[in-house]
Amino acid sequence: MHFLEVKNIKKSFGAIPVLKGITLGLDARQTLAVLGRSGCGKTTLLKIIAGLLDGVGEVFLEKTNVAHLPPQQRGIVYLYQEALLFPHLSVFENVAFGLRLRKLPNTEIQNRTESMLVDLGLIEHVSKMPPTLSGGQKQRVAFGRALIVQPKLLLLDEPFGALDVETRAQMQQLYKRVATVQGITSIFVTHDLKEALLMGDQWGYMEHGNLDVFHSLETFSSDLRTGVRSEIDFWKKL
Amino acid sequence: MGKKTVLALLIALFILPFGYLGTLSLASEWRFPNLLPVAWTVEHWTSMGSGGGNWAFSALTSLTLASTVGVLSTGIGFLTARYLSAHPKRPLWLLLAYLPYAFSPVIYAHCLKFFFNVSDLSGTLSGVLLAQFILTYPFAILLFFNHFDQSLRAMEDLTYTLGGTPREAFWRVLVPVSQSALLVCFFQIFLISWFDYGLSSVIGLGQVRTLTIALYQYIGEANQYVAALASCLVCLPPLVLLWLNQRFVFRQSTI
Repeated sequence: MHFLEVKNIKKSFGAIPVLKGITLGLDARQTLAVLGRSGCGKTTLLKIIAGLLDGVGEVFLEKTNVAHLPPQQRGIVYLYQEALLFPHLSVFENVAFGLRLRKLPNTEIQNRTESMLVDLGLIEHVSKMPPTLSGGQKQRVAFGRALIVQPKLLLLDEPFGALDVETRAQMQQLYKRVATVQGITSIFVTHDLKEALLMGDQWGYMEHGNLDVFHSLETFSSDLRTGVRSEIDFWKKL
Repeated sequence: MGKKTVLALLIALFILPFGYLGTLSLASEWRFPNLLPVAWTVEHWTSMGSGGGNWAFSALTSLTLASTVGVLSTGIGFLTARYLSAHPKRPLWLLLAYLPYAFSPVIYAHCLKFFFNVSDLSGTLSGVLLAQFILTYPFAILLFFNHFDQSLRAMEDLTYTLGGTPREAFWRVLVPVSQSALLVCFFQIFLISWFDYGLSSVIGLGQVRTLTIALYQYIGEANQYVAALASCLVCLPPLVLLWLNQRFVFRQSTI
């Protein structure tokens, strides 16, 4: 059995089916990059896995069915496109937020938060308030806030979609490094082909409420729907 | 005309009514065409201190009403708006919340009067409190309706995935993030209640003597000097709230 098993997830909004029986498996420390156009059901899938939306089907995490657990008991953190930093808390308190919820001792919170801030290159911004940060810094704080609680699974819903090209590239590298070092298991949703190729260890393509998972880059590239072939052809023609 | 002159004129325009009321409250004789009172007295103010005009009681009644209605409507309106803003029939609820404002408060009070008479609430402080709550509760809902947007919902959801319970999401995220909106709502409802005359007079039947009721009574008696004193007292808390609003709420929202 995989670290994450999603079985036959279905969801409809009124009479419109959005997810038509999604099934996938993901091993620990792997990232599944899911590519798909806007409105294909990517966000709905992630929200159901996180427990933020009701849906039909089963979600097994480390062999435990978490489908009936509330989101706070699943050990799954969902990251949005926007950083969604808490505006009333400093950078330090934003990152430490999950630890405070767990009511850990202050010294442990201090040490772990400082260590995370150093790791993400944010230590000099520790007492700043969110509105004074740049887009990239905000997203790094959001990462720190998610990673510090050591989630079993991280769900990233187009997390770099709102960033400029340069910052986006920096964040992709940062995420890759942190994911490798910390052994993060994640589903990374994007509509950017290059980002999907860079972030994933395996890839998925979502269309009309169905998900096809590709375990190798070759099979993913050879599927015409993913757009890899046309992208390669474009660059060859230049 | 320079900016400073315009600013000075605006400040003068703002201060003038308060200055006039203050002067009038200290006058014992002030007739046209005298620019200032002919005779001055502090009698109206001292009689207030000695309890001569039941001022303290009226002020306390108004303060109790406005604070209670402000806290209740803001708190319950906040919770209701949170629920209704995510409701599938959101537009219908929004329309219903506007309904009490289709009438003037006095007509609205007359519509409610029958129910207050039947329930023996007419002429009581709790009756006036309930009537003001009925009027200001939808106002709070309207004020908070758009506050609960997708971003705030996403923050709440994020708190859950970080391990927070609904209670923690409410107290640690929703309330602090909404602090400015809550204060603005409280201030506005406080002012609505503080200046209310229509509901207080119709439901209170003259037995609940708020400061505004007392003020209108003195105006009716053509006692302009005491009416000026009552006006000063009526203006005082809103001015304090305005100052607090500017000093704390506005500053916070611009950080």
